[in-house]
Amino acid sequence: MNKAPQNQRRKGNHNGVAAIFLTPYFAFFIVFSIVPIFYGLYVSFHKWTLAGKQGFAGLDNYLYAIKDPDFWASLGHTGYFVLLSTPLLILVPFALSLILDAKLKGRTFLRTVYFMPNILSVAVISFVWIFILRSDGLLNTLLREIGILGQEQELFWLDEPKLAWISLVLITTWWTQGFNMIMFLTGLQDIPTDQYEAATIDGANAWKRLVYITLPAMRQLLILITVLTVIASSKVFGQVFLVTKGGPANETRTIIQYIYETGFRSNELGLSTAMSFMFFVMLIVLSFLQFKFFNRKSDQGE
Amino acid sequence: MPEHASRKLSLPVLLLYIVAFSLAIICIVPILWMVVTSLKPEGSVIGEIGRRFLPPFTFENYQYIFESAPIVRWTMNSLFVSMVVPILSLINASLAAYALSKINFSYKKIVFWVILSGMMLPGEATIVSLYMVANGLDILDSYYALILPALAGPLGVVIIRQFYDGIPNELVDAAKIDGCGLFKTWWNIFLPLSKPVMAALFIFSFLGTWNDFLWPFLSIQTEELYTLPIGIPFFMSSYNQDETLPMTVNAYASVPIIIVFIFFQKYIVKGITFTGIKG
Repeated sequence: MNKAPQNQRRKGNHNGVAAIFLTPYFAFFIVFSIVPIFYGLYVSFHKWTLAGKQGFAGLDNYLYAIKDPDFWASLGHTGYFVLLSTPLLILVPFALSLILDAKLKGRTFLRTVYFMPNILSVAVISFVWIFILRSDGLLNTLLREIGILGQEQELFWLDEPKLAWISLVLITTWWTQGFNMIMFLTGLQDIPTDQYEAATIDGANAWKRLVYITLPAMRQLLILITVLTVIASSKVFGQVFLVTKGGPANETRTIIQYIYETGFRSNELGLSTAMSFMFFVMLIVLSFLQFKFFNRKSDQGE
Repeated sequence: MPEHASRKLSLPVLLLYIVAFSLAIICIVPILWMVVTSLKPEGSVIGEIGRRFLPPFTFENYQYIFESAPIVRWTMNSLFVSMVVPILSLINASLAAYALSKINFSYKKIVFWVILSGMMLPGEATIVSLYMVANGLDILDSYYALILPALAGPLGVVIIRQFYDGIPNELVDAAKIDGCGLFKTWWNIFLPLSKPVMAALFIFSFLGTWNDFLWPFLSIQTEELYTLPIGIPFFMSSYNQDETLPMTVNAYASVPIIIVFIFFQKYIVKGITFTGIKG
């Protein structure tokens, strides 16, 4: 108020009206986004079960989590998943977006089909793939029919740790790549075509056009999508929980599943919220990169 | 013209077509497999793969799942929640966005900054405490649990505000001269103008709510309140060996949204563009 910049000449502050407009949204935002963070923090300093508060625990829950090998193992599994899935979730959708941008006949059909798995529920895709991957399922049968596996051979896609990870990463790529693909496609369509035409006249082949025009133009978007994908993959839970249930022998149990099991199966809500909070801080650090990038991007947009 | 003709016939282009359509097959085969399996008589074994795609087909699996689980109820729950969440959250978000874009008030920057940082909050990481908050409010195991927490998402506010920023302030002034209050201006001018954004956000929110698994799975115990996604695992455990019945439930839960997707693709694509780039 006391600064009173010129653009306020027409109107002063309308705090009352603004409050009326803001309240319906903010009530939910505060109760279901902000309160859980602080309440969780409060719970994490107590011994707490589903029956309620059992007493103050200080830093005990945090110290316990830090010494808990299963906590670190689950974090490791999540990290491993991020490392395996991120390159695929960048390369596959990027390649598909290049195909869609190549003006083939039937590209609307192709786009629809490439994107379709993305709209299915995690419950649906999980149970479809459980049946495709089980020992007498579609994949093994197919591999036998085309002769890659012998008639009596079978691969245990979900029961052998290495194969289980491969399966989970491939399922996730199949399911979620469409989102990144559309983002890439939008980026590709923003590149002015005259740049390509000029390069073609100068004798640049398709590969050179990709390296010298497309990739530099897509740099920002590639960074953004990588950050978004890393964060999304860090939160992996549903498909692993449903397809392998974290098995075999907890070898694929992710951190979110471990937090869930600690809270609701072991009935240790205090410990569970302490783990949540530690994971939360790790994700915030990761997201901070996204936020910085995002801010820069939207400044340019305006 | 000759350029065009040679492009059509060239080997690289032909290869590109082969690659493009092979990838399309990989994307769609699991979905087709789900649908054809649901149409096979109960207890079918795999045998020859090609045979799965040929008749005889039957709808008796569908009849069976309707008889053995309250699947009609689950469908209504899913539909109800997936309609109510987008409607309420779009109304709330556009009101907030209007204030953030067109009304002067104290601490506006801070308020917007808080919402924007809300986008960074990883909901999955605080799901245990959300459960406890919902428990404290006594809304667990009810429609409130399925609807109210979903209204807290900040994405809609940020995107709609961006859109409102593009609408000139002069329009608000002109409406004021014509005797429109702020609320009427929002309702008569801003809402109609933002139809394309709202449509994209609506479809997006609809699909997200329809498919949501983790939160309904945690918050709902009563079978009558299940949504379709959490009803599917329920079905699985009872019929583990047979492939046809679980695939029938899967197909049943998916076909409606596949149809929604095919008709409203344009908006879904737009929605993704908003979240990623323009957001």
